[in-house]
Amino acid sequence: MRKGIIYIALFSFFALVAFTSTEPLFNVPSGWQKPSYDFSKNILSQEKIDIGRALFYSPILSKDNTISCASCHLSFTGFAHTDHDLSHGIDGKIGKRNAPALMNLAWGKTFMWDGRINHLDMQALAPISDSNEMNENIAHVVEKLNQSNVFKNLFYTAYRDSLITGERTLKCITQFMLTLVSSNSKYDQVMRHEDTFSSQEKNGYLLFQKNCASCHTEPLFTNNQFANNGLQQDTVLLDNGRYAITHIASDSLTFKVPTLRNIEFTYPYMHDGRFKKLSQVLNHYTSIPQHASTLDSQLQKPIQLSANDKVDVISFLLTLTDKEFLYHPKFQYPKKLFSQSPNGL
Amino acid sequence: MNEQIKLPSESDSVVITTLKYYISGIQLLWQGKTVFRESNSHHLIHIEESKSLTIPLHTPKNIHFDTIEFCVGIDSISNVSGAFGGDLDPTLGMYWTWQSGYINFKLEGIHPKCNSRKNEFQFHIGGYQMPYYPLQEIKLSIPNKKQIDIYLQLEKLMANLDFKTQKSIMIPGKEAMDFSKRFTQMFRTQQ
Ligand code: HEC
Ligand code: HEC
Repeated sequence: MRKGIIYIALFSFFALVAFTSTEPLFNVPSGWQKPSYDFSKNILSQEKIDIGRALFYSPILSKDNTISCASCHLSFTGFAHTDHDLSHGIDGKIGKRNAPALMNLAWGKTFMWDGRINHLDMQALAPISDSNEMNENIAHVVEKLNQSNVFKNLFYTAYRDSLITGERTLKCITQFMLTLVSSNSKYDQVMRHEDTFSSQEKNGYLLFQKNCASCHTEPLFTNNQFANNGLQQDTVLLDNGRYAITHIASDSLTFKVPTLRNIEFTYPYMHDGRFKKLSQVLNHYTSIPQHASTLDSQLQKPIQLSANDKVDVISFLLTLTDKEFLYHPKFQYPKKLFSQSPNGL
Repeated sequence: MNEQIKLPSESDSVVITTLKYYISGIQLLWQGKTVFRESNSHHLIHIEESKSLTIPLHTPKNIHFDTIEFCVGIDSISNVSGAFGGDLDPTLGMYWTWQSGYINFKLEGIHPKCNSRKNEFQFHIGGYQMPYYPLQEIKLSIPNKKQIDIYLQLEKLMANLDFKTQKSIMIPGKEAMDFSKRFTQMFRTQQ
C-alpha cells in the first residue's frame, strides 16, 4: 500500500495593521494626583521623546562639546550625581550645589533647590548657560543643532519640518524628562498589595509616617514645598536657599523638599551633598540644634528615634528603590539614535 | 544700531548699543470700550530689525477707534507657562536663564558718566512676581487711520537718570519696578 502523503499547509493570516506599542507614553500611577505639567501644551510623541533623550545625552549642548546633562545626572543613580557633593561641569569647574535626582518631574511645581525655575520647559536653559556647567547659550546651541544631520533628521521625523527652534529644543528635553516616572519600588508594590513589608520595614514605615511624611509626603515623597530642616549653614558656600529668590525673611535657609524615592542610590544627600550615608541623615534629624530662626515648626520638637528605630526607618527607605526605573534601557544612552555619528555631533 | 542721541538737558552724548523690548496685549478702544483685542499678542521690538518695528493688526473692516492700549513687557501667566516659539522663543536673548522669567525691556549702551568698565550701562527690566511686577500699561489717543505711528522717546526714558549711581539693573526687584514706571512717559503719537 502506498502511503499517501498529505501535506498540511498552515497559513497564518495577519491583518496588516501597523503594530503600535500598547504602552502609553505617560501613565499616572493609580492613586497619584494629577501631574502639574500641562501636557496639552506639549503633546507627547515617541519621536519627540527620542529627540529629548538624544539632547539629554549629547554634549552638543555645552560650549566645547564635552558636557551633557547626563554628565551630572546618571540614570543608574536616579539621575543624581553620585559621589560628587557639589556638581562638576565644564573645565572641571565645581558648582555650588549637589545635582538632585530627576524623577516624577511631571508633578514638580518649581525646580532647583531654591525653586528659581518656574516651569520644566525652562529648566534646561539654566545648566546650558551656567558658566560652571555647560557655559553655552541656547541661541548658539540651536545653531549647532541646525548644522547636525543627526538632529535635523530627528526633528524632521517628529515635526515634518527639519527647522530646529529654541521652543522645540526645550520642549523635547521636557518630553524626555516627563517620562522619568519611578513608581515600581517595593513600597509601590506593597501599596498595590502585590508584596508585603517585613516587620522591620513596617515599623520603619510607621515611624516615617509619624516623623517625616508631613514634608516627604507620599506617594511622591515630597510636598513640593520649601523648608528649613535644620542644617547648619555651610560657612564657605553661605547658601541662603529660597531667600535669594524671594527676599522674604522667612524663606531664609529653606530648600525644596527632595523626593526620597531611590534614595539608596542618590547619595550624597542634601543641597550641598554633606551626608554620604542615610545613617548620617537620621542622626541629623535626631540632633537638630534649635539655632535657626526659620527652622520648620514640625522640627522644633526634637525627633526621638532609638538606634533600632533608625535602622528600621532606613530599611523602609530602602523599599523606595525602583530597579525597573534605575535600569530601564529607555532612559539610558541612546546608542541607536547616535549610531551614525557619536553623540549627534 | 550705534546712534548718537543728544539729551536735551545734558551735553553728554549717549551711545545706545541694544534696545529690545516687548509690546503685548494690544487693544483698540472706541469711546472707552474695547473694540479689538489682538490674540496671542506678543511682539519683540528690536531696533536693529526694521521688520520688527511694524506690527500688522488684523482688524475687522471699517472699525472705529480712538485709543490704543498695550503693555510693555510680558504678563505673568505667559511667564510661568513654559516654552513658546515666535517672538517669545528663548533664543532671542530676552529670557533670563539663571532664574525663570522674560526680560521685558533691554537697554544697553555707553554713557560717559558711568564709572563702570568701558562706561557701559545695562538695564534688563523684568519680573513677574508681586510686588515686583513691572508690566506697564500704555494708553494713547490715536487717529482713526490705517497706519498708526507711535514714537518712542528715549530721551524721556533717560531724563533724570543718574548714570553715576545707576548703571546696571539685571534682576527683578524694586529698582526694576521703579525703572519701569518711566515707560509710561516714553511713547507719543506725534513726532
Ligand atoms: C554640571 C552639572 C550639571 C549639568 C551638566 C546639568 N545639571 Fe541639572 N542640575 C545640576 C545641579 C547642581 C542642580 C541643582 C542646582 C540648584 O538647585 O541650584 C540641577 C538641577 C536640575 C533639575 C531640577 C530638579 C528638581 O527637582 O528641582 C533638573 C530638572 C535638571 N537639573 C535637568 C538638567 C538637564 C535637562 C540638563 C541638560 C540640559 C542638566 N540638568 C545639566 C547639575 C547639572
Ligand atoms: C520640615 C520638613 C521635613 C521633615 C519633617 C523631614 N524632612 Fe527630610 N528634608 C527636608 C528638606 C527641606 C530637605 C532638603 C534640605 C537641604 O538640602 O537643605 C530634606 C532632605 C532629606 C534627605 C536628603 C535627600 C536628598 O536627596 O538629598 C533625606 C534622606 C531626608 N530628608 C529624610 C528625612 C527623614 C527620614 C525624615 C524623618 C525622620 C525627614 N527627612 C523629615 C524636609 C523635611
